[in-house]
This record gives sequence, C-alpha cells and structure tokens, in this order.
Amino acid sequence: MKIKLFKKGDIIVIAAVIAAAILLTFIGKSDAAMPVAEISVDGKTVETVNLYSVKEKIVITPYSEYNIKIIAQNGEIWFEHSDCTDKLCVSAGKLSKSGDVAVCLPAKTVITVSGSDVDAVVY
Amino acid sequence: MKRIAVCLSAFAVAALVFFVIYDATASKPLSNSFFSMNTYVSAQVEGKNAEENLVEIKKIIENLDLNVLSRTSENSVVYNLNKNGESLLDAETAAYLSLLSDISKQSGGAFDYTLGAVSDLWNFGGTPSVPNEVQLSEALSHSGHEKITIANGKATMADKKAVIDFGASGKGIALDCVKSYLETQKVKRAVVSVGGSVLLYGEDEFTVGIRNPKGDSGSYVATLNIPENCVSTSGSYEQSFEKDGKKYHHILNPETGCPVNNGIISATVISENGLVSDALSTACFVLGIEKGFALAEEYGASVIFITEDNLIHTKNPEILNISDSDYSLAED
Repeated sequence: MKIKLFKKGDIIVIAAVIAAAILLTFIGKSDAAMPVAEISVDGKTVETVNLYSVKEKIVITPYSEYNIKIIAQNGEIWFEHSDCTDKLCVSAGKLSKSGDVAVCLPAKTVITVSGSDVDAVVY
Repeated sequence: MKRIAVCLSAFAVAALVFFVIYDATASKPLSNSFFSMNTYVSAQVEGKNAEENLVEIKKIIENLDLNVLSRTSENSVVYNLNKNGESLLDAETAAYLSLLSDISKQSGGAFDYTLGAVSDLWNFGGTPSVPNEVQLSEALSHSGHEKITIANGKATMADKKAVIDFGASGKGIALDCVKSYLETQKVKRAVVSVGGSVLLYGEDEFTVGIRNPKGDSGSYVATLNIPENCVSTSGSYEQSFEKDGKKYHHILNPETGCPVNNGIISATVISENGLVSDALSTACFVLGIEKGFALAEEYGASVIFITEDNLIHTKNPEILNISDSDYSLAED
C-alpha cells in the first residue's frame, strides 16, 4: 500500500510559509536599492542624503580645512564650490548613479553614491 | 495531530530558508576608504576575516608611502635618494626599482621615474605654471633611468640633481603589495582602488568601468569583463589647467618635458602586475597607439586607447563592452 506523506492542503501550507519567509527576508533590504550619497571628511561620514527623495535644494558645508559647498537637488549631488587649487572636485560634475564618486583631495572630502553596477571604475 | 506536525515541519523548513538567505547576504563584502599616498584609496573585501584584512590593507599602503614612496617622509627611499643621492633597499624595493628601470629602457624613455625635476616645474599638484624652455632644458638634463644604479641592496644617484618621482607607478606598487598580502589570507574576493588604479583579486569575473574622458567622474564609456588582474588608466582629463586659452595636462613627454599631444585622451592597461599596469598606462599614452601596443605585448599586458575622435583602440575587443553610444571601436 502506498502511503501519501502530504496531502494537497499540507503542500499549500508549506509553500505559503516558505514564500512568506523569503518575502520577509527581502522586504527589509529593499531600501538598499535606493541611491544614497554619503559625504565623508578624512574618512568620517559627516552627512548622508537619500537622493531618491531629495527634490528641493539642500546646501551642505562640511567642516574641513577648505571652504566647501555641496549641493543636492532633484536626485543629484555635486561639489558646487571648493577653495582648493585644482577644482577637480567641482569639475567631477553631478553625481546621481550608484557607484558615482567625487573627491576633493586637498580637503579630504568625498561624495560617494552607494552601490554600483560595476566592481570598480578606473580613472 | 498530523496537521500540527505538518505546520511545524513547514516552519522548520522556512527557518532554514531564512537563515541560508540571511547567511548569504551577511557574508557581503566589507569596505573601507581613506586618504594615503596623496590620493583616495577604497578597498572592498569578501572573506572570513574581511574586517581584519581591511585594517591590514590600510597599514600596508600607509607604510609603503612612509618607508618607500613619499617625497617628504625622512625615512623613505625616495626622500633619501633625492636628498642624499643614495638609499638602502630591501629586496622588494630593489625589485620594484629594477622593473621600473626595465620599463624605462623598453619604452625608450617614454616612461621615466626620474622626471621629478620636470614635473616639479609644472607643479600640477599645487599651483601649476608653464615653465620656459631654458628651465625645461635644464630640468630634462637631470632625468633618465641611467641616472640611477641599483646594486648590492643599494640605490645610488649618479646625478645629484635628478629627482625620483613615483607619481606614475606608486599606485601600481601599492596594488602589488596588497596582492602579496591577500595571497596569504583566506579572501574570497577583493577590489582595491588606489587613486583609480584597481586590483581585482579572487574568484569569478569582475566588471570594471573605464572612465569617460569627456564626462563626469562617475561616468564610464565601456566596461571590461576580466578575471583577477590589475587595471590602470592614464588620462589627460586628470590634473590639468588652462593658461592663455591653452589647456595643459599632467602626462609629460620625457623627451620635451611638455604635455603629450598625440590625440590620445586615455590609455588603460590590464596586467597581472600592478606596477606594470600603472607604469605602462603612462608609457603607452606617451608612445601612441602602435608603439604602445608593441610595448604592452612585451609585458603580456592588454591596452585600450581612447582618442580625441571618440574611437576606442584595442587588440582585445572580446573583453570590452562599449556602453556609451558616443564612442565606437576603431578598425585597427
């Protein structure tokens, strides 16, 4: 005689519980997909900006040896001004995508947008 | 009773699934970033002791700068060579200097790590200015790899006015030091970027973007799909200034002492060796496309040139994915 281990109803219950477990695991992580800009000075994070939600202009002036002005608006963030000589940070332009980085070396100030489609960018 | 047993086993399986997924995501890579060697360094490590590895990587790069590469640290090899005309070398540093001299010779002087007197005149890292011909000619007379002798654990400068500068190779040396360390560790995967020169270490393929020479700093024109390697780019968009309507960039031709003007705006080199990738990216930029391809081949490296007319030149198109429609593959 063949013994049936599970009835149809049992299988549905098992499948539903497993599906719920998987769903719950990923729901808590959904925020990670949103681009978040992190501003750090000398390795320490001084400000984070959720680019997904930023619409109005935000002006950030992190404390460093140089006068620096960072602006976030309409999902983008950029170095608007720096007292440094080379202005590479200002010419880096507007950052919006995951993986974008702009650095002001003299002021040791970095804007990074979290996550990336690539492992690294060579420059 | 049976229904309770079914529910309990379902919960057990669900808990198992939860923990398997949780564990997989918990072993995500850890990262760290800091400033050293006058540049921005970022490191990402995946493995059992990732946190410890990140601390050690920072130490390795800081010590390398302090003891070998720095032009201002009194204990460094470069400081002593420039100030006193000689320096004791450990076996590793002697090997780096020998390889640098070899690349200088093989490139016919297109790569020159004794060009410090010339780059000091331009002062791209500080307040840049355009030197006059007399100044350039004087500084050029104190450059050339033959000005340095490496023997018996010691480096000696034949010309006391020659100035060693590791600006075009130090980042690559740092990658090699980090790679040697990682080889002794249980690291699954690591990506270390020293000022844009990148070490890709570990399993599977990596995707690397080549920066758009005409775009914002985060934008890239193409991606490379490659296994473990070192990748470096020299681009005319980095460190430049304008004077009287003319743009001057930091990649100098060791023959003239002036910025290279040959239509190339970026040269990317892929090599197993960090020093080779870094030094060759400068050498290939200076040499131009044909001679650059030949030099890269001698060192078993691949090179990707981008020219002013938005063409991408490579002998290895199979590893390249052009993602920016403004650029296309040249028919070399």
